[in-house]
Amino acid sequence: MSRALVSSLAAGLVVAIAGSLFAGVVWLSPATIAGALSSTHTTLASLIVVDVRLPRILLAALVGGILGLAGAVLQGLLRNPLAEPGLLGITAGASLGAVVAIYYGAAAAFALATPLFALTGALAAAAAALVLARGGGTLALILAGAAISSLAYAAVYLALDLAPSPYATYEILTWLMGSLADRSWHHVALAGPFILAGAALLLLTGRSLDALALGERAAASLGIDVARVRLLALFGTALGVGAATAVAGSVGFVGLIAPHLVRPLVGHRPSAVLVPAALTGAIIVVLADLATRVLRGSAQGIGLGVFISLVGAPFFLWLVLRTARRTE
Amino acid sequence: MRSAVAAIALLLATGAAAAPVRVMSISECTDQLVLALVPPARIVSVTWLSRDPTTSLMAHAAGQVGVNHGLAEEVLRDHPDLVVADSFAAPTTRALLHRLNVPMIEVASPETIGAIREATRQIARAVGALPRGAMLLARMDRTFADLAADPPLGVRVVAWGGGGFGASRGSLFDALLTAAGATNVAPDAGRGGPDVERLLVAAPTLLVMGADAAPDLHANVAAHPVVRRWQGRSVTVPQAHYFCGTPFIGDAALALRRQLHAAVPR
Amino acid sequence: MSDLVLTGVAVVRGRRTVLTGIDATFASGRLAVVIGPNGAGKSTLLEAAAGLLAPVAGTITLGGVPLAVIGRRALARRRAYLPQRAGVDWPLSVERVVALGLTPSLPSFGGLPSALQPAVDRALADADLTALRDRPATEVSGGELARVMLARAVVGDPELLIIDEPTAGLDPRHALDALRRLRARADAGCMVIAAVHDVDLALRFADDVVAVKEGGILWAGPIGTVVDVDALCRLYDVDVRLTRDDDGLSVRFTS
Repeated sequence: MSRALVSSLAAGLVVAIAGSLFAGVVWLSPATIAGALSSTHTTLASLIVVDVRLPRILLAALVGGILGLAGAVLQGLLRNPLAEPGLLGITAGASLGAVVAIYYGAAAAFALATPLFALTGALAAAAAALVLARGGGTLALILAGAAISSLAYAAVYLALDLAPSPYATYEILTWLMGSLADRSWHHVALAGPFILAGAALLLLTGRSLDALALGERAAASLGIDVARVRLLALFGTALGVGAATAVAGSVGFVGLIAPHLVRPLVGHRPSAVLVPAALTGAIIVVLADLATRVLRGSAQGIGLGVFISLVGAPFFLWLVLRTARRTE
Repeated sequence: MRSAVAAIALLLATGAAAAPVRVMSISECTDQLVLALVPPARIVSVTWLSRDPTTSLMAHAAGQVGVNHGLAEEVLRDHPDLVVADSFAAPTTRALLHRLNVPMIEVASPETIGAIREATRQIARAVGALPRGAMLLARMDRTFADLAADPPLGVRVVAWGGGGFGASRGSLFDALLTAAGATNVAPDAGRGGPDVERLLVAAPTLLVMGADAAPDLHANVAAHPVVRRWQGRSVTVPQAHYFCGTPFIGDAALALRRQLHAAVPR
Repeated sequence: MSDLVLTGVAVVRGRRTVLTGIDATFASGRLAVVIGPNGAGKSTLLEAAAGLLAPVAGTITLGGVPLAVIGRRALARRRAYLPQRAGVDWPLSVERVVALGLTPSLPSFGGLPSALQPAVDRALADADLTALRDRPATEVSGGELARVMLARAVVGDPELLIIDEPTAGLDPRHALDALRRLRARADAGCMVIAAVHDVDLALRFADDVVAVKEGGILWAGPIGTVVDVDALCRLYDVDVRLTRDDDGLSVRFTS
């Protein structure tokens, strides 16, 4: 069941990626794309496919994948279906890092300043949450994360308020809405390794998450080092989601919804949710990015994060209502 | 792939070696200068924002050329000889265009009269329109000279802009007020939006407000009883007059001078 | 000699000293119950005995080896522990929950190795859960859940089984059933330690009693030799009447 699910989701992701190679400002035919990918000459089509769309779509898959995976791990770790990277202050920390880069002009000085600052912010937020919740249980971790999240967002809005120029205000706002527009192989090279490293750490938690379904004490009695699992989950999330937020801006909701979509299909087993949630997250973001490109009409494009929340929130609400009715 | 990029760079470079024939602007404020300097036939496209007369002085001209949304794919598709951008174009897009070796000129978004001169000359040089650029700047300087020749108005004003474009010190709106002969008595009043208390403390002779197309917070404040005391003693400036730095700021200052003159209570 | 021996054990939770000077010995094949008033430190004693709380003083050894030396995973294979009101947070199937008891024997990735499936089947059958194996564990009754949790604890055939309040929230029939199952485990050679609130029930099934009061052991030993009216009076600070019948000792608290 689980293996069939993973294969069909992987196939779905490949179709989504291939499909979104066609669409954009210039619509390309399959033949053109095949030519662009195989040809050694540089043509308009090969430039668009290889240097503009491919890095962007791969980044969408990486970003969505790590968000879905981190959401699944955190929901398992905290045994709370509402957990997601945003809950622990990691997204907020990354946002603050990026905003600091923009605010102090580092972003204008070199293009990769924003991603690097964001990654630092995410790691700092995760470290702060772990230190604050030291000795406490799951609830302490959630509370610490909520406090860090509020603080970081307050700082972000303070920066908006005090922005040195309209340019900085504009930059911060666009960044907060999330986007993958015109990301290049540079961004893939920057975020990719961190996202993959984060994913590796997160995948190590699978077996422990299953045991944690019985509670922390029982998990510990089954030989699980709960403190180590927590460290893996938070550090992996900070690395992966920090890097993702760094290049794509703040993209919410994927981490919350992707695990929910697949959980019933794998018998609710936390470790079995991980890979399908990652694939589902990747599909969601690839399709959402495609939609923001196609829907760009005469008006300004919709922010990626904004689009996902707009479409995702009603869907999530429907899911919640359905679950509530079923368990009544 | 790197060699492929190099190849297209060569391709693009050969086109750009001659005076750029086809120009594309991907920031609203460079749109204004490109539209002012280059005949429509040579402009591939400007941003869709420049067709909005609320903020664009060149909305009419923008209607005669194509539009873009500042995306790298659009640049690749339209293959211009030169891309013009300022710091408002997304840094990721500019970085990607650099990577793809697209010929591009980036100017700082001008906030002062001096910066307007600099940006106008830079773009004029890049698009091969130096005489036209010099002409526009000379006209701006002539207008300023005319304004300076008149006895200074010295009217005390507080100015409120919209959309984050206040009249704080160093802003284009502040420069416009100064050029028109007004004294901005609360140069910090615009930060973080209009402030009724600051207005009372500064007690200006006139209240200058930027006109927005859409009602916003500032329109809300305008209904405040305190603000209504300045009814009949307020002046409305089109946002397009201070939204982007262009040589047309001279004409804007002249128009504002006339409005202020008419509004000053005698 | 695979006794579990606590010597001079003291345990601190937060800044509060919960247990001091604990000396106790538990043996294979015996069912020991830990009794005492609320807040006496019964649960803490069980957690320390399970190796989940490190003592600040004293030693705890299993077969002569300190628990810390045995190692987390090795200990997990030999000892099972069930916390109070054990439950599960996700609607996992009963079979999955029982299989979780094999966690210490599983490889890091992948599903349940087929070699371990018979153990799961046996545990399900022993707990009369075969018919419920595909039912979500969050949708079974309280008595069924208690059986699921016990099956989860014993699926790996541990030599030491530690259970905190196996009868909490159960009706008399299910409470009796729970203790009968523990009794059977002990008879099969397992060392069983359970904290039990229902003294009457505890005395009917146990071999040994450990009476805990105010963080220390008040008295301990085989039921026949340590339990009398005076001992129970001192433990609970209430008057007690003890009667002996065919079922063994029966306790009634008066006043």
